[in-house]
Amino acid sequence: MALGDREVTHPRGQPGAAQPDPARLVGDERLPCGHLVSQAWEDARTGRADPHLANCPHCRQAVEGLAALDRATRTLRAYLPSARSVADHVIRAVRAEARLGWMVPLDDPERDLRVAETTAARVLRRAADRIPGVRAASCRLAPADDATGVTVAMTLAMTLDQSLPGRAGQVRRAVADAAQRELGLAVSGIDLNVASVLQLLSAPVRGASPSHDRSE
Amino acid sequence: MDAQAQRVLPPSGRAPAKGTGDAGGDLAELEDDLLVERAAEGDDDAFAVLVDRHSPPLLALALRMLGSLPDAEEAVQDALINAWRRLPDFHRDATFRTWMYRIVTNQCLSHLRGRAPAVPLSVVPEPPAHDPGSEPARAAESEAATQALGRALRDLPPSQRACWILRELHGMSYAEIAQIVNTSEQTVRGRLYRARRTLMKEMAPWR
Repeated sequence: MALGDREVTHPRGQPGAAQPDPARLVGDERLPCGHLVSQAWEDARTGRADPHLANCPHCRQAVEGLAALDRATRTLRAYLPSARSVADHVIRAVRAEARLGWMVPLDDPERDLRVAETTAARVLRRAADRIPGVRAASCRLAPADDATGVTVAMTLAMTLDQSLPGRAGQVRRAVADAAQRELGLAVSGIDLNVASVLQLLSAPVRGASPSHDRSE
Repeated sequence: MDAQAQRVLPPSGRAPAKGTGDAGGDLAELEDDLLVERAAEGDDDAFAVLVDRHSPPLLALALRMLGSLPDAEEAVQDALINAWRRLPDFHRDATFRTWMYRIVTNQCLSHLRGRAPAVPLSVVPEPPAHDPGSEPARAAESEAATQALGRALRDLPPSQRACWILRELHGMSYAEIAQIVNTSEQTVRGRLYRARRTLMKEMAPWR
């Protein structure tokens, strides 16, 4: 048991509380009474009724300041400065230097119109995202053999509450549809790979989760 | 393909820019891994979710390391913009969170190395210690104790300070800290022990 790593030192679900860890700190010293400094700390924090600790001057001296340090640490830990202006600044800067990727030809050979790959990928990912229980991960476009054709390679994360082939079929149709109608691409192939199981962090997606679809 | 004839279409796939939320569906519910994969391919909506999610603890880390909010904000901004540029080369041998902690910690350590003698401590503001339920004298004492800890922290060698902050304020494991400060777990444990001894000595007058 490492010192100070018990839950008791970070009461009840404090964010940022250290997890228990079986290893000791390095540099631990043995007190004249035979106890390790770390052991005195641990005993003081757990409040274990130990007659030695109560009576031993070495141990008592070794834990001086521990309670005050722990209290002040909790206060510092709870203080989170607002990061709003930092986040806004970063997001503005990042949007301003958006990466384009290669220029993907639209299905209009005469005018040679093109769209940035990142823009096209954004539209196609969003089409996949709209299928309940599906989120797109990677989405790359590559030129096909003919002049304006492109192929799409997409990896997906899916929940496992419906058959994968059925869902993949929905995604394929949604992506093909968005490629044609929203972007005007001539897609000659869509390669889908289910790379991971989708786990959402919080509540289901606004009334559109697969579990909702089933129960309704 | 005739590069001369290329015409770039405007980024039509994005919803009118407001906040970070709407474009691309419910990105805020996605795990980091998926967002990182999208962001690495240039999806700035996905990166915006990562920024919103991770900037508060990163700013807290930088503030404790540097002791000045403007310096901390600058360090975290630089680190995040840097991360956006380096994302295509991020091989995901660590989590995004650990990677960001490493970038911010390094940013702070090199800031401190390049810094002239530290800012006079008396001008560094400390967060108020919120203690609304108790009597004023007690609250003032608790606030003073927190300020004392902030000062003691800034007197620690930066490498010890980083280990202590990551462990005690951010709940990192020794292994994670070793990865972040690029040293062995043994070294981390040694620094933590020395940091704690020093801080306890400084805090001993506060009952």
